[in-house]
Amino acid sequence: MPEKPIPENDPVVSKSLAPHYVISMVILMATLFWALWDEDFGQRPWKAFQHEWKDRYSTFLKTARSQSSESQKDVESSPDYQKLKQDYENASQNAAPRIKEINEKLRDLSAQILAVQSVFTDRRAYVSASTYDIETETSLSAKQRKQRNLDEYKKESTAAEMPDGKKQTFKDYDELEKTYNDLKNERTQLSAELGELIKPVNEKKELLDAYVTDHMVNLTPPQLVGLQNKTEAWTPKILQINVPEANIVDRCESCHMGVREPVKLTATSMSAKDKKPDEYARAFTSHPERELLKIHDPEKYGCSPCHQGNGRATTGVEKAHGTYEHWLWPLFRKGNMEAGCQTCHAADMVLVSNEVGWTLSDGKDLFRQRGCMGCHRYEGYDKEPEDLLSVAQQIKQLDQEKKDNVKQADDLMKEADKAESNEEANRLNDRAVALKVTNSKLDLRIVQLDRSTKSLLQDLKKVGPNLKDARLKLNKNWIPVWLKKPSDFRSSTKMPNFRLNDEQIKAISAYVWQSALTDPLPKHKPGNAAHGQELFETRGCLACHSIGEGDQLQGGTFAANLTRVGEKDSYDYLVRWVHNARERTRPYCPYEKKDIGPEDYKKKGLPYIFDLEHSRCPNDGHELQVQNMTVMPSLRLSPQDAEDVASYLVTLKKQEASAYADASFMDDPNLKPEGKKWVRHFGCAGCHEISGLEDEGRIGTELTIEGSKPIERLDFALLTETAQRGGREPITDPDDLARLPEGPAKQPWYDQKGFFEHKLAEPNIWDQGKDKPETEKLRMPNLHLTKEQIRALTTFLLGSQENPLPASYQYRPMDYRRDIQEGWWVVKKYNCMGCHQLIPGQRTSLMSMARYQGPDGQETLPPKLLTEGARVDPEWLLRFLKNPALNGTDTNRNGVRSYLQVRMPTFSFSENELGKLVRFFQALARQPFPYIPEEVPVLTTKETEMARSLFSSTAAPCLKCHATGDPAHDRTATAPNFLQARGRLKPDWMERWIIDPQAISPGTSMPSGLFKRENDHWVFSGPTPPSFRDYDRDQTKLLVDYILQLTADEQRRVGAAMGRARASSGSAPSGVQASGNAGRGGQE
Amino acid sequence: MKAKKLLTIYCPPAMLGLALLAGCGKKESAEEQPAAPAATAPAAPATPIDPATAATIIGVVKFDGPAPKAAVIDMSQDPACKGTNTAENVMASGGHLANVFVYVKEGLGSRTFEVPKEAITLDQSGCKYHPHVLGVVAGQTVKIVNSDPTTHNIHPTPKDNREWNESQPPQAAPIEKTFAREEIMLPVKCNQHPWMRMFVNVTKNPFYAVTGPDGKFEIKGLPPGDYTIAFVHEKLGEQEMKVTLAAKDTKTVDATFKP
Repeated sequence: MPEKPIPENDPVVSKSLAPHYVISMVILMATLFWALWDEDFGQRPWKAFQHEWKDRYSTFLKTARSQSSESQKDVESSPDYQKLKQDYENASQNAAPRIKEINEKLRDLSAQILAVQSVFTDRRAYVSASTYDIETETSLSAKQRKQRNLDEYKKESTAAEMPDGKKQTFKDYDELEKTYNDLKNERTQLSAELGELIKPVNEKKELLDAYVTDHMVNLTPPQLVGLQNKTEAWTPKILQINVPEANIVDRCESCHMGVREPVKLTATSMSAKDKKPDEYARAFTSHPERELLKIHDPEKYGCSPCHQGNGRATTGVEKAHGTYEHWLWPLFRKGNMEAGCQTCHAADMVLVSNEVGWTLSDGKDLFRQRGCMGCHRYEGYDKEPEDLLSVAQQIKQLDQEKKDNVKQADDLMKEADKAESNEEANRLNDRAVALKVTNSKLDLRIVQLDRSTKSLLQDLKKVGPNLKDARLKLNKNWIPVWLKKPSDFRSSTKMPNFRLNDEQIKAISAYVWQSALTDPLPKHKPGNAAHGQELFETRGCLACHSIGEGDQLQGGTFAANLTRVGEKDSYDYLVRWVHNARERTRPYCPYEKKDIGPEDYKKKGLPYIFDLEHSRCPNDGHELQVQNMTVMPSLRLSPQDAEDVASYLVTLKKQEASAYADASFMDDPNLKPEGKKWVRHFGCAGCHEISGLEDEGRIGTELTIEGSKPIERLDFALLTETAQRGGREPITDPDDLARLPEGPAKQPWYDQKGFFEHKLAEPNIWDQGKDKPETEKLRMPNLHLTKEQIRALTTFLLGSQENPLPASYQYRPMDYRRDIQEGWWVVKKYNCMGCHQLIPGQRTSLMSMARYQGPDGQETLPPKLLTEGARVDPEWLLRFLKNPALNGTDTNRNGVRSYLQVRMPTFSFSENELGKLVRFFQALARQPFPYIPEEVPVLTTKETEMARSLFSSTAAPCLKCHATGDPAHDRTATAPNFLQARGRLKPDWMERWIIDPQAISPGTSMPSGLFKRENDHWVFSGPTPPSFRDYDRDQTKLLVDYILQLTADEQRRVGAAMGRARASSGSAPSGVQASGNAGRGGQE
Repeated sequence: MKAKKLLTIYCPPAMLGLALLAGCGKKESAEEQPAAPAATAPAAPATPIDPATAATIIGVVKFDGPAPKAAVIDMSQDPACKGTNTAENVMASGGHLANVFVYVKEGLGSRTFEVPKEAITLDQSGCKYHPHVLGVVAGQTVKIVNSDPTTHNIHPTPKDNREWNESQPPQAAPIEKTFAREEIMLPVKCNQHPWMRMFVNVTKNPFYAVTGPDGKFEIKGLPPGDYTIAFVHEKLGEQEMKVTLAAKDTKTVDATFKP
């Protein structure tokens, strides 16, 4: 090979790969370091959290410790503590000498035992072994020989060196054993004595320590030291809650380490020194609702069942919170936190029976009150119709069962007749008889179910008024104006805005008008409007209805605002409505699906009477709907008073009824079919009774598990991209924009919350940019909700989920708590809370009205029902709820509190709802059901005299405030008549009441402090009459027994003796009235 | 601080090689943001009021209109209530209005005052409260005495304090109570004698007065400064006046209420 010359620029010489290697190496190294970093931290962001936690929590605990020792000093300087400490020291000093003595003895004894033991155990081992040997020896001679050896061994004397250095000799084995056992017994005795001695000292010590723990606001310094040591020894690790049976794996606490710490941690306290709270500080705070955590132990419930999010994720905040596109159910946000409660507490109308202010409860109320279930099915929110269906099925089943039984009984009897033996025949006959008895039970069960059908028909209510009465009730020309935009006429109305065009309005009003009943209404003469106004404002109408607008608005939000009712309603109809809103124009037969008229009754020769007692269809005997399906009760006004109230109502208007433009087109029969089409299209029959549409189905989608719907199944239509990007807010209408709880969108809102909020703010929002015919446009009307209402409803919907947890996790109690659940449903249905306080702190509609302000106003409010179940006999409650006048004939009054202007109305509750309410109150107060009244002892003459002197003493002037039935006196009464106590009140409750009424009904006129505890008995605090000198029982009990035996005569006598001579004469002294006025005038 | 140490080791090469770890140093820089002014800084201890510079406000509250004739209260429903009694809601005579509560509403800033140790007495005698309008510093004890031979009950109906209602038989020991929160014209009534009514005014500072039958009042011991003085009457509402006090000033601030 010829040698080639070496080229210039030989790459081997001139080119170097070193730079490449260096760069590669740097990249490789960097990758390596990155990989290491990522392995340690990138994939484990929680480690950084835990390191940060360790630092901050330790710092926090140090400062907490100094504060804590300060407060410990405070606690320890209190006299109570000092006394306990003294007790402890005394006890330990008293016991100390003897304890010392015993301890010394024990020490000596132990040494002695040890000395004897070393000798004794050896010998005992030999004896045991020999004894075993003898027992197992088969030859008799050998046995005897061995026994002899053993006896000799036992006789040998032994010596042991005692602790004092002396040698003690034991003459034989028995003595050794006895000595040993004696020593041990002595030690046991002494130990027991020591225990006895130490016990009281320890008890005192425990009391002392408990006092510190009970009175420290925070933890004690030693407890804090414990926490600090624990924190400092912390090594980062995943913290997880794993509940296999519920498939919960939640690692949330790997970052949220403060959630369950025993001290309260706030974002400020967990901030780094002198810094603003950052994401760590916010993550380390304690759970804000400790009470909730107590009920829902995180070890059982985890975190995600309530909060949602991806509990398993550990690789990032977004992942764990589930706020990324591959996780379907992101963490509930702050305003909607209570959605988590709904997942298990769907059946509770009131989440916690002694708390107010739950957003979720508001959402549930809105869903019912605004009639959402008129269009949307929601499991559990159609109780009455669903129960009706199930009762019908049960009846069918029982009928079948009965038939089968009859047939089987026949067969058995036939068989019996032909039986071979008498025994066989008797046996078969017995079985047949048993079946007949069963059938009679089934018959009774069917009767029961029939009654509950009647109940349920009575319980069925509609959110909106009965449009069959449109012609009788309404100003014809007003209807189209109303339909245009109901909220323009009445801003707070439940009727939503349907965005109807003029043709639709014409057709719908024509259909409503032409399909309505035309029966004549009785004519009424005009009443006294001024008196009507007084009645309207005082009888309690404003607990549900409101009046006035803006600042002038007064009353409740449950029913309509009546400010303009005079423009639309006819006087005669209002009279009937005010007198008894349930009075129907014609009964409706659900079987025939028609309104039954006088002609139907006439055909059968029956009088045209229909009410709750006459509720059978004349044509086919089926149960009729005999009431208007409204929750409005009757206030038991006299016909005259009803005319007065109606006369007042028709004066409420902004313009004359005649000022509405003529709408005679509504009589055009050609519009009727078109109208029916639209009435159906918009689902009007969901809320209203409308002729011909009584059995209309619902038009909306079911919402029971709406919150579980994956985001892809919520149709954002053309706005999908806007929502994902968080582009400009698509809602432009300023009214609708103001409804968005979070304001106009600034960030992406492509999630369930964004969907619900936008939909509720502007229900046709997804039609934006679409070209659709009228019939295909979104139908959901605008409910003109406020921000807070939308937030509440969104919370409710977000929590409406298919619950993956086992059934045992869901709140479906079967005990008294179920009665509470069912009761709230009824209580909310009739707005009992418009007048009554059932939860401490809950405001009733009446409470905020000007009339009920000030100390005098408060006295005229309806009673609080905080302990109703403990207060009244359930039998009485049942009677009262049926007829609150407690009188069959004189009904224009209050049965219990005759002195109140506001009146407990008659709700015509069905048997079903009566039962639920009575059980509810009993359950709420945890009272046993059925209630067995306690025997009230009959007082002796002496006891009666004593009780009377107490009852009428100037120091306990009971009759000053309690009504007596004397009209002159009762004008200023503020408490019920004692004569009603018997049969109404539970004696135990009465005793509690007179001891501390403020604890039962805070703010009541009845003062506390009437009795005090003395020598383990309740005695009167004022000067007691002399006859009480040797009385050694509870004076409260005596007074209660006396009140329960009070007769009208006795009450009159006592009243007269108390200086009530003028009042009891029956004439109204002007002075009493004047004084009442002056007193009241002082405040208002 | 193992985490930080590791970060400092790993960060430079990682940054050098790949700009993958944009977020690496971010947290630290975020933490270095200037600290917000501490919100929890304790209020500077108030400089004690120097009695040598203390100023005084005096004044008269007038009633512009014919004095209403006080309604006579018939107390015959309780024979133990002796004597005559007239309604106390508007007490005016000679153009002067009594029972107006005058207090320093604004101007004392964050100054705190020690709660007076001595109790203020509220007496019930002749089925009437004495006084009818009472001022008390929040936390100060009100001692309620019953001098009548009949039982009363004391029932305040506050807006911002806790409500209570206690019975006080004749010759019973005084009831001692405190009100924790500021509240003006807190009505107190006796349910058994519906005409009995008085008002407690709970203030944060001890600078208050109640006008007497001559309409006069005096508030002493105020440090120099600008103040808003409020005049509150149970029926005729509230009026405010501004006043500037220099050291040792005695200024007159009058108010006039119309019926």
